[in-house]
Amino acid sequence: MRHATKVAAVVAAAALGLAACGSSSDNTPAGSNTSAGSTGTQAAGKKIVVGIAYGVGGRGDQSFNASAAVGLDKAKADLGVEFKEATQVNGESEAATEERLQQFIDAGATHVIGVGFAYAKAIGTVAKANPDVKFAIIDDASPDSAGANVAQLTFAEEQGSFLVGAAAALKSKTNTVGFVGGVATDLIKKFEAGYIAGAKAANPSIVVKSQYLSQPPDFSGFNDPAKGKTAAEGLYQGGADVVYHAAGGSGSGVFTAAKAAGKLAIGVDSDQALTATPDVRDVILTSMIKKVDVAVYDFLKSGAAGTDITGNKVYDLKAGGVDYATTGGKVDDIKSKLDDYKQKIIAGEIKVPTAP
Amino acid sequence: MSTFSPRKLLLAVAAPVLALVVAFLVTSAILLLLGDPVVEVWQTILSWPKPRQLVQIVNGATVYYLSAVAVAVGFRMNLFNIGVDGQYRVAVFAGAAFAGQAWFPGPLNVLLTIVVAMVAGGLWASIAAYLKVRRGISEVISTIMLNAIATGVVQWLLLKVAVKQQGSNSISTKPIPESSQLDGLGLIPGATNKVYTLILLAVLVGALYWFVINKTRFGFDLRATGRSESAAVASGVKVPRMVVTTMIASGALAGLIGMPLLFGQDHSYGTTFQAGLGFAGIGIALLGRNHPLGIAAAALLWSFLDVQSNALQIRAGVASEVVFIIQGVILFAVVIAYELIRRADVRLEQQRVARELAATRSDAPTPEGATA
Amino acid sequence: MVGRDVLRPGPTNHPPGLLSGPGRGVVAITAAPARPDGTSDAHPAVQLEGITKRFPGVVANKDIGFSVARGTVHAIVGENGAGKSTLMKILYGVQRPDEGSISIGGRVVDLHSPADAIAAGIGMVFQHFQLADNFTVLENVVLGAEKLHGIGDAARREITRISDEYGLDVDPDALVDDLGVGARQRIEILKVLYRGAKIIILDEPTAVLVPQEVDELFDNLRELKSEGLTVLFISHKLDEVLSVADSITVIRRGTTVDTVDPSSVNARQLAELMVGAELPTPQTEESTVTDRVVLRIEDIVLAGAGAGRNVLDGISLTIHAGEVLGIAGVEGNGQAELVEVIMGMREPTSGLVFLGDTDISDWRTREIREAGVAYIPEDRQRHALLLEAPLWENRILGHQTEEPNVRGFIINAAGAKADTERIVKEYDVRTPSINVKAGSLSGGNQQKLIVGREMSHQPKVLVAAHPTRGVDVGAQSSIWDIIRQARRDGLAVLLISADLEELIGLSDTIEVILRGRLTGTFDPDTVTAEDLGAAMTGAAANPEETR
Repeated sequence: MRHATKVAAVVAAAALGLAACGSSSDNTPAGSNTSAGSTGTQAAGKKIVVGIAYGVGGRGDQSFNASAAVGLDKAKADLGVEFKEATQVNGESEAATEERLQQFIDAGATHVIGVGFAYAKAIGTVAKANPDVKFAIIDDASPDSAGANVAQLTFAEEQGSFLVGAAAALKSKTNTVGFVGGVATDLIKKFEAGYIAGAKAANPSIVVKSQYLSQPPDFSGFNDPAKGKTAAEGLYQGGADVVYHAAGGSGSGVFTAAKAAGKLAIGVDSDQALTATPDVRDVILTSMIKKVDVAVYDFLKSGAAGTDITGNKVYDLKAGGVDYATTGGKVDDIKSKLDDYKQKIIAGEIKVPTAP
Repeated sequence: MSTFSPRKLLLAVAAPVLALVVAFLVTSAILLLLGDPVVEVWQTILSWPKPRQLVQIVNGATVYYLSAVAVAVGFRMNLFNIGVDGQYRVAVFAGAAFAGQAWFPGPLNVLLTIVVAMVAGGLWASIAAYLKVRRGISEVISTIMLNAIATGVVQWLLLKVAVKQQGSNSISTKPIPESSQLDGLGLIPGATNKVYTLILLAVLVGALYWFVINKTRFGFDLRATGRSESAAVASGVKVPRMVVTTMIASGALAGLIGMPLLFGQDHSYGTTFQAGLGFAGIGIALLGRNHPLGIAAAALLWSFLDVQSNALQIRAGVASEVVFIIQGVILFAVVIAYELIRRADVRLEQQRVARELAATRSDAPTPEGATA
Repeated sequence: MVGRDVLRPGPTNHPPGLLSGPGRGVVAITAAPARPDGTSDAHPAVQLEGITKRFPGVVANKDIGFSVARGTVHAIVGENGAGKSTLMKILYGVQRPDEGSISIGGRVVDLHSPADAIAAGIGMVFQHFQLADNFTVLENVVLGAEKLHGIGDAARREITRISDEYGLDVDPDALVDDLGVGARQRIEILKVLYRGAKIIILDEPTAVLVPQEVDELFDNLRELKSEGLTVLFISHKLDEVLSVADSITVIRRGTTVDTVDPSSVNARQLAELMVGAELPTPQTEESTVTDRVVLRIEDIVLAGAGAGRNVLDGISLTIHAGEVLGIAGVEGNGQAELVEVIMGMREPTSGLVFLGDTDISDWRTREIREAGVAYIPEDRQRHALLLEAPLWENRILGHQTEEPNVRGFIINAAGAKADTERIVKEYDVRTPSINVKAGSLSGGNQQKLIVGREMSHQPKVLVAAHPTRGVDVGAQSSIWDIIRQARRDGLAVLLISADLEELIGLSDTIEVILRGRLTGTFDPDTVTAEDLGAAMTGAAANPEETR
């Protein structure tokens, strides 16, 4: 009897675990969004079939993956590309990641995009096995993913983060600002580093408090609004009045917390004052725009033109790959200062650190 | 297990089959309810895998198998090692860090890495064993906590030892030298990819598990403790020692889980290393009834579902997480079915004993006064 | 309410009178009216007809029939394993009979669950109390019956009312943890009264009580009776039954033997009814006691939990080769702990155990068993068997390191199976195969397997705790034979039993254990069960020898 009860408990626990995993799919309306865009095929150039593999969080994360999706949708409208999309499952094996890319190729993809550095190794492997297919990887420039048919699209996130850091410091009344990182990876630390540098540049006495939602290999921090909310609440209660998140889908929790606290938040990747749920848009001071959409669109456009991008392409301030958003008008009064910093970074007068 | 009989075989197969049917129905109902394309989903999942995918299924099952055996060792004595997840991560990290140093030539490096990983997994599990034996803390609680701690410790150590490639955003241990990478076995014709060499390790572990549990004194003591701790104590089993030994054995086996991945796939331990294998092992051990062959079948089924679901998003436009629903429902259904069938089995046997006794001694009076 | 669905009019074509007679197993009761006259008062409170219950491998109850008059204490006596508990479970709706009917107050009822039984006015007080120690009396009483009077003052008033009415002397706000055994039993009785029971079943209520508490309980029962309630009193203690019951039904081997008036029988006659005419007496032959000491226990002390008194308090024993030393005592006086200390399953606070000249105090259970101490535990299902394992694996249990079960570190299944076949033959274990699960066998056959196993390794000592508890008469006499044979073979036997006849019949010496101390040594040739009984409860003024 005792045995049975115990087993039941374990099973229940396991099931809860599964349920928790399963719930992440709620934010991934892959079913509704997957559509073979067959409408614009009359457009000029090569016929392109795109397989796009999103990172955890998927198209619906209102942030990083969503930005990639914007570029894709634009490519569909302008270039008439067809696409198939899929989202990474948290904690899956390298083999499963590779298989996803291979599945696109089986389904006829000519261009495969891996959104996020978690696809680096898989892109490298699958690209070697399919030399006729073109690949792009976002956020990775390592030898793992390198190949003659691979475009490595990376961003100078620290530069954009510097600008929003400066904005946060200029807007802060409590002399304290916060940072919520999704997962404690080097990539997210780049955001943090730029943010801190920007804040200190604008106000040397500012206090910056940082918080991460999960540690790799647990990537749930990119897709857990509840965790984001808790972390942000802690920061606001700790005195911060502006919180910048680099936490993908968890960011919506940060906005909720900001709304409840009557404080400000800074979005990431997309212009979140446009993509976030309408009721929280008014708390978004600005967003660090990482123009994944531009990178994705560029890649597909060059493909359509038959001049595929290969090798590492860095999207920085200079290249217009990162920026800060002005939607909502909350930074209008400090715009000149921010643009000043921007010019200095572009000119190389300010070197933004990439690690905190 | 002791004797073969058609009845036993039928009962053993009935539960999983029943569970699969229930899982099929429940998942279909959920898909219907959500308006997802039911037919496409099943067509995708039940289509015959390509050779490449067959390899992936076998490879996935290899890893699951090791995980489930690690869990099953504990289950056989009613010891619930929920910490296999943490143990394998600590172990694979230790193994990867060791192997990456390339202190020893090719195959010897592989062998010693496996030893290192087993020691690391065993040591990590020994914490829970100590807490249970000396402090009376339920291994369920302590291993769950240790899983969380393992995550933190491994991450912290990874940051210390990680080598960062130029331009990469992921971090990992130093890749193992090429001489120690195991290319794999071309077991499946027509596949470009290969079956993990360390599938041989899984086979060996399965055989050893069967032998030790069923044929040795230690295994007898272990099973006796699982069936009735009080009877085991009275029979002279030192239960605390059994707890420590079994927990460490379970942890050492957990240490093997990551080895096929490390040598055959990832070649280093990093942020993208497969997670959650320990929890999958719990379900697979339950499904396989802790039997070496049952676990193999369950691991293959799990891996089959994993691989087949990968195409769901692309071919049916349904999130591949739907497979979690299928797996979860299978588990629930199978646990319930096993219990029902176990009870039926006990009853049937009692009735059979009564019948056969009555038949052999039809002249004798009622065999017994009462059981009460 | 469930009760209304359960109750339906009884059969009119079977008046009890016509059913009476040995052929139907129904015995008319003097106190019950001879024939029904239509009013409910005239019906017996409880009437059982032809109750039969089969379990796999056994018929626990066979054609049981008797009736209980309202406002009486009706005792049901029988040996351990005679089927009393099964009968009570049937009456309380825990189990359903395969055949037969139960009438309550003249209405046939169909009891599917204890809830049905409660609705029909039947309450049960179990031998093992079902109280939450950390709750108050009030909380325990209302637990599960919150709908009746709530959980507040109304409930408190009702408890006080019942307590006063039946003289139960229960304080609703006392913490159960602080109460003694007698008081806890009264709470159990109050619990069933609170739920509206008119018929109360008490299962072996005196097993846990000291003599004064027994007297108090009997006073309570008389009080209940005088208020018109009916009490069913299950026991195998004949003296108690004779003193409190108005009527006694004897059950033997699952069926009713007779219903008698206590004033017309004495304990001896009742005992003969219980065990049947051919009363098997465990008579030892002439003494085989030698002067070679085999097992010696020196001043064993086992501290109780916390600041409680010692569970074992300075126990010293010597058992010689060829000697059976019996330990008599009311259960829970330290017998189980003494056995566990000897078997190495429990570390004594102080004291020594010697096997021959060897100090085995620090040995572990396995070493002790390997050294030749055979062990028949008190609770065979929990301590001696793996119920879900086949017989041959159970043959290995306890002897995992010994021939023919193992070869080195490897289990020798063939050897164990062959030897199990031998045990099954030699010890008359009735089973179709050695591959069936131990749980499929009846209690007696399980015990024969255990005894056979334990005697198969040339033991020097046999520690037997209640070896014939819950086994049938056939198995009982063969187990007695085995113990006698062990004694002839020069084993030192420690026999712990609650069956005084068994102790007197088999032992060469009897020690009485009371509250962890050995309080008297008796010679079984001269002592009577009454003397022992008195010594066991501490009532004896002067045992022959006192330590």
